[in-house]
Amino acid sequence: MSTSKSIVLINGSPKINEESVSGYLVSMLSDRIGTDGGSKIIINVRQSLTHHQTQRDFDVISRADAILIVFPLYIFCLPAMLTRFLEDYYHYYAGSGKIAGNQKVYAIVNCGFPEPEINTEAVRVIQSFSRHINAEYRFGILIGSGGILLGAKGAPFIKTALIKLQNAFDEIKNDSKNDGHQNLENVLININFPRWLYFFMGDRGFIHDAHKNGLKKKDMLRKPYLANEPG
Amino acid sequence: MKAYIISDKDYQSAIYNRLYELVKLNLSEKGFQIEHREIGRDEIAFCKGCFGCWIKQPGECTIKDAMAEINNNFINSDVAVYLSPVIFGQFSANIKSAVDRWLPNILPFFITRCDGSTMHSSRYVTYPKQIIIGYGEEVSDEDAQLFEDITKKHRRNIEVLVFNGNDSDCTSFLNQTKLERVGGQL
Repeated sequence: MSTSKSIVLINGSPKINEESVSGYLVSMLSDRIGTDGGSKIIINVRQSLTHHQTQRDFDVISRADAILIVFPLYIFCLPAMLTRFLEDYYHYYAGSGKIAGNQKVYAIVNCGFPEPEINTEAVRVIQSFSRHINAEYRFGILIGSGGILLGAKGAPFIKTALIKLQNAFDEIKNDSKNDGHQNLENVLININFPRWLYFFMGDRGFIHDAHKNGLKKKDMLRKPYLANEPG
Repeated sequence: MKAYIISDKDYQSAIYNRLYELVKLNLSEKGFQIEHREIGRDEIAFCKGCFGCWIKQPGECTIKDAMAEINNNFINSDVAVYLSPVIFGQFSANIKSAVDRWLPNILPFFITRCDGSTMHSSRYVTYPKQIIIGYGEEVSDEDAQLFEDITKKHRRNIEVLVFNGNDSDCTSFLNQTKLERVGGQL
């Protein structure tokens, strides 16, 4: 087994100055995988695009042994910002003609809906991206009710999900540092929390946030582009 | 009747030009008044996941750019057609930006659909019929299937086609689709 591998963690959250579930997952993942004599670099997609650092970051990605892409689900697939980054990386890759294959790619996706399976197509997009850059897609971690990981840190009901998540991170750590190519299955993580209560608390949370902005629940139902629509 | 076509300014290939002309002709022949919006790189900002469209300015994105006009035109059309390059089996970044920032048009509240899946509830009673057509010079079967699954497995009342250069496939797809506003589930 070779241990001196270079690992790149890509944080694909588009949020600005706000704590994100993806950022939290990147931090957990980074702690979990360590370095073991190799290197580990975290790339924030928003910063890379905003500060025009993509060429530098693409150089880093092109040299990595393992690429770990962490992102939230936006309208059932990747956020546009991460799509831009990967699209541009593909052009960089296609234009360079010098990038060796054998890179391993992993996807870690979280969504606000309770069902982790909803992330399946987003993970398939990362699989397709891997094919296009001649890399080897290994497996994905699909997380439902992702917001709870941040909102209920330390709560007993997320313990089981956290253990499963840490085990999946360990699997990435071990797989990324060896030269094995055996098939690995996606890992689905759901939080053991009543669906009706999750919906209730989610709705209440949005109503509460709207109240803080001086809005009532009926204001949240506005139809700005079809003001006269009945119903 | 009004049709709104949204396409990617940065992927103006021969197959795109053919597809656009085909769609425009088909809709014109059906009596639609067509408005066309091309989206280029950096013309609209990326959704930043702030939920301001739900909790600060309900129904409108808080980012001030062309997306307000796009969402207004979208909601006030009978048919909305997205023409998108197939990139890694999904939308291009330019089109995905418009799709992400469609979020103001729905409500934050969760619902369980008849099949048991979760979705957000509708803001409007009716929406334009949405048609998504992917295109590309060499779209693999896997990517074409993924492009269809991303929408068809998760959203209702939306039709999807991957255009591979066969004009009659596209024409019969448009002819078989009921081109009018739809209500009910998203």
